Amino acid sequence: MSSILKERRDGRTFLLTRNLATGKRVYNEDLVVRDGVEYRTWDPFRSKLAAAILKGLPEDIITKGGKVLYLGTSTGTTASHVSDILGEGGLLVGVEFAPRVAREFVEKVARERKNVIPYVADARNPEKYAISRVDVVYCDIAQPDQTAIAMDNCKRLLKEGGSLLLVVKARSIDVVKDPRTVFEEERRRLEGSGYRVRSVIELSPFEKDHAMIYATR
Amino acid sequence: MTAEPTEEDLQSIRLESIQAAEEAIREASSRPDLHLVQAIQALDDTDKYLNVTATRASEWYGLHFPELTQMMQDNIALCKMISDIGGRGSFSKENLGGRGLTDKKVEAVLEAKSRSKGGEISDGDLGRVRALAKLALELSSQRDSLNGYVESQMKKVAPNVTEVAGATIGARLMAKAGGLDRLAVLPASTIQILGAEKALFRALRTGARPPKHGILFQHNEVHMAPKWQRGKIARTLANKIAIAARVDYYRGSADASIKSALDKRLESIKERYKDPPPRKPERRGPPPREGRFPRREKTRRR
Repeated sequence: MSSILKERRDGRTFLLTRNLATGKRVYNEDLVVRDGVEYRTWDPFRSKLAAAILKGLPEDIITKGGKVLYLGTSTGTTASHVSDILGEGGLLVGVEFAPRVAREFVEKVARERKNVIPYVADARNPEKYAISRVDVVYCDIAQPDQTAIAMDNCKRLLKEGGSLLLVVKARSIDVVKDPRTVFEEERRRLEGSGYRVRSVIELSPFEKDHAMIYATR
Repeated sequence: MTAEPTEEDLQSIRLESIQAAEEAIREASSRPDLHLVQAIQALDDTDKYLNVTATRASEWYGLHFPELTQMMQDNIALCKMISDIGGRGSFSKENLGGRGLTDKKVEAVLEAKSRSKGGEISDGDLGRVRALAKLALELSSQRDSLNGYVESQMKKVAPNVTEVAGATIGARLMAKAGGLDRLAVLPASTIQILGAEKALFRALRTGARPPKHGILFQHNEVHMAPKWQRGKIARTLANKIAIAARVDYYRGSADASIKSALDKRLESIKERYKDPPPRKPERRGPPPREGRFPRREKTRRR
């Protein structure tokens, strides 16, 4: 059974994930019950993964019981939904560099969810959190060299045939260039290193100048 | 990579990681420079509130005694009068004394009182204006206390930056950078335009001329200098601040040679560029699309 629910209402699609920490909210999202099971609403304006799914990213990249390395969890909004999807028996290794936002991630997500292991660390040092190979590397770190950082993490920690979900914020790679050019350059960078880029999804209107690159190795 | 961890392993790793993460967060939150960053921002916020509150009190009171609000340049001193004395009928030679006003000014206030064009004010409204004036006074004393804290704490946390840039400017630079550790790894060219991001990115996009200074404009040496020297002075200042921040962060002791080298260099700039440069012929047509310098590959930045 999938942990993601899609509902259509008033011509719009709403995403829900099955709440792993029953009764608990992470960022004041709505809790709803469907068939006796509690779900949390997943806001595409606050979560780039939700935005990407609504814009056509396949839902079965992150699956129940899987393992995910999440770089740049921030306060844990998206990470909490990934944790929902993985469910018990899954594993989310969450890495965040900034102590201020890591505090909320540890308190509200890692402490409440047994499938989450938090690290306050730099994604440039994967050895600090190398506890297990994973099925998916999710990378949202807004650094100019983020693609290189993501590939380095994949090389060390992604399983053969695993997936990379890379959030590209064009403005933090180059403020001057056209965002489309930046997305194209990052795609080539991945392909040049032997990745197969399955899709490049622009996240407008949910986020400006952002894209989600889905690649496999 | 070693063998895959079992569920049991993962739970013990998880608990250890949570503890380690919380320890790292705790350690990061107790750094004195982060408290300074909050204090300087609180100081700037308080300044803003103070200004709007005092201006509002002055405007409101001005309905009742416009001559006084016209006469008083200093909003804080005005607020003190409003709060202490109240309606214009209560002004007297006695309660105007001890406020640092000249006898002539006291006379003028009393004279204005007798022929004021202000309207009547009810006790209720007067009470409300006085409360507002009192709030402004409290904000003013809060501002002073924050300022004192920033001054003294900057000397401890970043003595060299304080010596070169001054306490408030040094603290603002630290706030922009995100702490002394971050300021210590910034290139001087970035420090020079911290606070002028909007102008910088506009320059990068359109090829317009880049800004010469951001926060550093507030430094006396920069804004007091003639226009054509400001860029050079800001650059020199930024160079020395970059060095000072590194000494402060990695060594942590005062080093008077930074300031003396700065003074010497400023002296020579002022001497060498005493006269304004000749006017350049006006540029025609739109500026070139690319920046004036070839753009180089971006390097790492944090």
